[in-house]
Amino acid sequence: MDSQTTVLKPKRNLWRDIKRHRSIYLLLLIPMAYFIIFKYIPIWKGQIAFKNFMPRKGVLGSEWVGLANFQEFFHSFYFWELLRNTIMYSVGKLLISVPLSIILAVSLYECRIKVLRKTVQTLTYLPHFLSWVIMYGILLVLLAPGDGLLNDAIKAFGGKGIDFLTNVKAFPWVVLLSDAWKEMGWGAIIFIAALMGIDPTLFEAAMVEGSSALQRVRYITLPSIRPVIIMVVLLRLGTILSGGFNQLYMLYSPSVYSVGDIIDTWVFRGLQEGKFALATAVGLFKGVMGLILVIVSNRATKRISGSSLY
Amino acid sequence: MKNRQIWLIALLIVAIAGPLFAQGVAEPTAATGPVDLELWYGAAITEAGPPPDDWVAYQIIRDKLNINLKITALPSNEADQDVKISAAAAADNLPDIFMVRRETWLRLINQGLVAETDDLYAKMPTRTKVQYDDDSIAFTTINGKSYGLASPGSIAKNEGVLIRKDWLDKLGLAVPKTTEEFMNVMKAFTFNDPDGNGKNDTYGYGAFIEINNYEEGLGRRMDPWFGAFGVAGTWNLTKANFGLNVRKSAYYDAMVFIKRMIDEGVIDPNWLSYKKDDFRAAWKQGRFGIMREQNAAYAATSNYAPFDKNFPNGEWVIVDPPKGPNGHASVGVYTKAFRIYAISDKADATKRDAIARLLEWMSSDEGYFLLGWGVEGTNYTLKDGIPVAEGVPDKDYAFTGPKGQPYTQLRNMVFYNGQVELVSRYPTYVTAVSKKTMSALDVLFDMQTRAWTANIGGDTLPPPSTDLKRFYEQGVAEFLTGRRVLNKANWEAWVAEFDKLGGKAWEDSARVVAETNGLLR
Amino acid sequence: MEIYETKTSLTVAKPSTVRLSASDKIFYGFIDVLLVLLFFIIAIPLWSTITLSFRPNDFIGTNLEGMFLMPWKWSTAAYKALMGNDGFLMAFGNSFKIMLAGVASALFLTIPLAYALSIRSLPGRAILTVIVLVPHMFDVGMIPSFLMVKDLGLIDHLAAVYLPTAVSTYNCLIMKGFFEGIPDELKESARIDGASEFYLLLRIIIPLSKPIIMSVGLFYAVSFWNDFFHAMLYLNSNNLMPLPILLRNILMASGMNEFVEVSAFGEAPIQAIKAASVFLAAIPMVIAYPFIQKYFAKGTLLGSIKG
Repeated sequence: MDSQTTVLKPKRNLWRDIKRHRSIYLLLLIPMAYFIIFKYIPIWKGQIAFKNFMPRKGVLGSEWVGLANFQEFFHSFYFWELLRNTIMYSVGKLLISVPLSIILAVSLYECRIKVLRKTVQTLTYLPHFLSWVIMYGILLVLLAPGDGLLNDAIKAFGGKGIDFLTNVKAFPWVVLLSDAWKEMGWGAIIFIAALMGIDPTLFEAAMVEGSSALQRVRYITLPSIRPVIIMVVLLRLGTILSGGFNQLYMLYSPSVYSVGDIIDTWVFRGLQEGKFALATAVGLFKGVMGLILVIVSNRATKRISGSSLY
Repeated sequence: MKNRQIWLIALLIVAIAGPLFAQGVAEPTAATGPVDLELWYGAAITEAGPPPDDWVAYQIIRDKLNINLKITALPSNEADQDVKISAAAAADNLPDIFMVRRETWLRLINQGLVAETDDLYAKMPTRTKVQYDDDSIAFTTINGKSYGLASPGSIAKNEGVLIRKDWLDKLGLAVPKTTEEFMNVMKAFTFNDPDGNGKNDTYGYGAFIEINNYEEGLGRRMDPWFGAFGVAGTWNLTKANFGLNVRKSAYYDAMVFIKRMIDEGVIDPNWLSYKKDDFRAAWKQGRFGIMREQNAAYAATSNYAPFDKNFPNGEWVIVDPPKGPNGHASVGVYTKAFRIYAISDKADATKRDAIARLLEWMSSDEGYFLLGWGVEGTNYTLKDGIPVAEGVPDKDYAFTGPKGQPYTQLRNMVFYNGQVELVSRYPTYVTAVSKKTMSALDVLFDMQTRAWTANIGGDTLPPPSTDLKRFYEQGVAEFLTGRRVLNKANWEAWVAEFDKLGGKAWEDSARVVAETNGLLR
Repeated sequence: MEIYETKTSLTVAKPSTVRLSASDKIFYGFIDVLLVLLFFIIAIPLWSTITLSFRPNDFIGTNLEGMFLMPWKWSTAAYKALMGNDGFLMAFGNSFKIMLAGVASALFLTIPLAYALSIRSLPGRAILTVIVLVPHMFDVGMIPSFLMVKDLGLIDHLAAVYLPTAVSTYNCLIMKGFFEGIPDELKESARIDGASEFYLLLRIIIPLSKPIIMSVGLFYAVSFWNDFFHAMLYLNSNNLMPLPILLRNILMASGMNEFVEVSAFGEAPIQAIKAASVFLAAIPMVIAYPFIQKYFAKGTLLGSIKG
């Protein structure tokens, strides 16, 4: 995490270092075998992205078709729109759900009423277990244009009901906020775990010096979980071209396709038509984009804050 | 101390994990014993479990037919089914015989994974007689060869336009006939408080989007309105006027009418957000007075019961679909629905013989009743030759009860919509609260007499590309939500773009298929 | 070496005896208000779903009325129907097996990996990072994975459900971050004492990292518990099907009630069944959470050094 401490170090003897860590390499044996078998062999078989995959011919026997599968994606009538929607949702969730998780975690950490703390922590954790099918039911109860509770309230105040779920302006907000509602508490767990590592004496010292509570949050609490925040953000950037398939597949409908269709839902509709090579090609494209983004942003955060993923 | 505990627990967990690698069903590999057959079936009642391991049918199949049958229920939803089958296909790991949707099946044929079945019909004369008629064989025939066995699916024309008779009576209205009369009734249903509860909480029409490849666009729940303008369904399958309905000018007229329904506020505004269950819950709550619904979903005992309890004085009647300005009227389109069971081309001659034996047995009296209803005396009793649930010792184990239903999971493989089945499935009963005499079967017969548009083979025409499908569905929806302004110029521009995206080409390719297969009438 | 554990609670860390300044009072008051607000934002929709799961078949009324349905008008038909479903218990057991085996193998693979990644002086650490990072981003789709599972002969084995996802890069790097946070002096002193790296991991790193191991274990447990997709693809035997498959069949059943005279669930409305099935399935994970929270005591990590 803190790489500055490693900058100044004596010239090391590589062989001696390797020997010193031999037990570590031993420990790594099984995980590495796992990675080769379960992760890299499939990636290698991902070459079907460049092939016209025929089951009987197998991965190696199928004929090469160059970039045809990629082109089918790039030349889709909706390519740019899909890209825009996907990024809109993953960036939107990064900007809404992650900060909310952090605020929740810090609030729980600072809260001095034990009952409140425990209740809210457990309660906010629950919605993660509601599948999107059920979430859709909840959203319908709240937002249905005819008899949704929110629309009833709007109408009671003399407003005009809004078709939240089928209106292209409202729909993205429904997606982003429902995700925040569902995942905020779940996302906070990691930050709560990080907060547990803070040295309590730091606070005592700060209090003796007469700092305010807000200052302590600003100068002690937040900085100490900064590495975790950066890591979470960077890892999410790596999957920026996945915008939350399960959610959108359940929430969207033809009238909001223009703002609800993302790369993964488009691919899924293709999968139903058996376009496996296309799905793999899109997966590779998403991977390359994610990798580039992670490398670039990792560089940037390393320079700015000294924290980095690796 | 504490650390040691944690490690003990960890060790324990690893110990549990070990044996799991070996979990799974070890398949007996007998050389001369029974033939192993793997069957992936579409469950009759997806939410009920599979038949238990000690199911008597397994024993009979082993003893009598020398087959070791292993069955797997496909996922309940079609998209999942497609994915499971397609993935197994891609790994060349298909089971011996499996149910499959036609589009997926076509692809498997192109990949050479599905076996021809022409020779099988002769090996199972009884079954062929009751299950596979000419239409069925035509359904699975590609380039003159049959690549699967198509059993009859759901009954044709089993839906109808329903209207709340009690609401009409209360408001002193006659049963509407034309689209304009319907419009007036819908307005009255919406604004004149037909249920008399003093609240403005009712609507004229209720629907949700339910799309099929032969019911594109807004789907079947809106088809009566398109039917009034002569453009029900995706395709017009007449010789004189073949083509995509959406490319015909009457489609625009129908759109204008539906837009009017929306602007007047007479359609339940939730219709674009409803899914099937929400829609069904809504009419049981008395939210709207006109709808298109399926016979059993409306009239079967447990489906009608909540409505009966909520509205003892409520009454739905089946009416003729609305008649449009040019005299067209149609509930919608109907096809002959089939379920394809395909055979993997890896199944050798022994297995193919076993499959023929199994299917022939299924259509014998023994197989038919065992798979359709279970064991006589336990799961059903016979009354005038019709299996009924009454009279079984334990009601839970009746074929309609929660414990009995798992035994009927394969019934779609033996049913052929014969008289016995229909009477057994849709018995006449008296409702609990209002004491009405109801019969989903009478409802069905009534629905079948109404005006429908024949579309036999419409479900065998090629589907649109992913992008085109989206353009179509999104476009019609947006014209109705107001995102696109519905006027002649905009509509024509949209259709032109639709053609440019491949709409015209889609129609042309479908025309070739329709002509070669003699679907045009 | 004796590891000194402090379950320092908040009141110890920030002595409440110290008088709060006015601005601090506002701050803590604000936090309380925020959390109470949050409580209602989460609780109200959740409550509406809970009442939905108890909704009787003949319920009539608006959604709002449904939320305030009196408990004596609740119907447990949905829960009874689900518990009475023979497949439910078996599916529950299968899910449990998958989860236990999954979490065990996941931690078994993740902890050493994360530990190795956290050692800055480890030659080859950069390569290792890339090896771990790349699969996080490259999702090559289900066919390559399916072929791999088939080649290993895992089709129709529970292992096919949990092994392909047994290591998550996300969890691994999160854990690595925490391991790095353990002060070097602690590791170095152990090394000087002649402790092997293995001993160090076992006796110092792991005991000090309970909060993160618990959280990562929870992340894994929940992902295995909820996994539907792999089970659908790889399992064929009826007696291996886990809970999410059953749940999905209930939630997504498309032909529900259409062709049957009496539904499989008798008297309960279908929305109630759906809601109830989700709650029943979530119970084990919900029960587990407070136990894990126990390990989230403040200052667990650093207390050890001071001690």
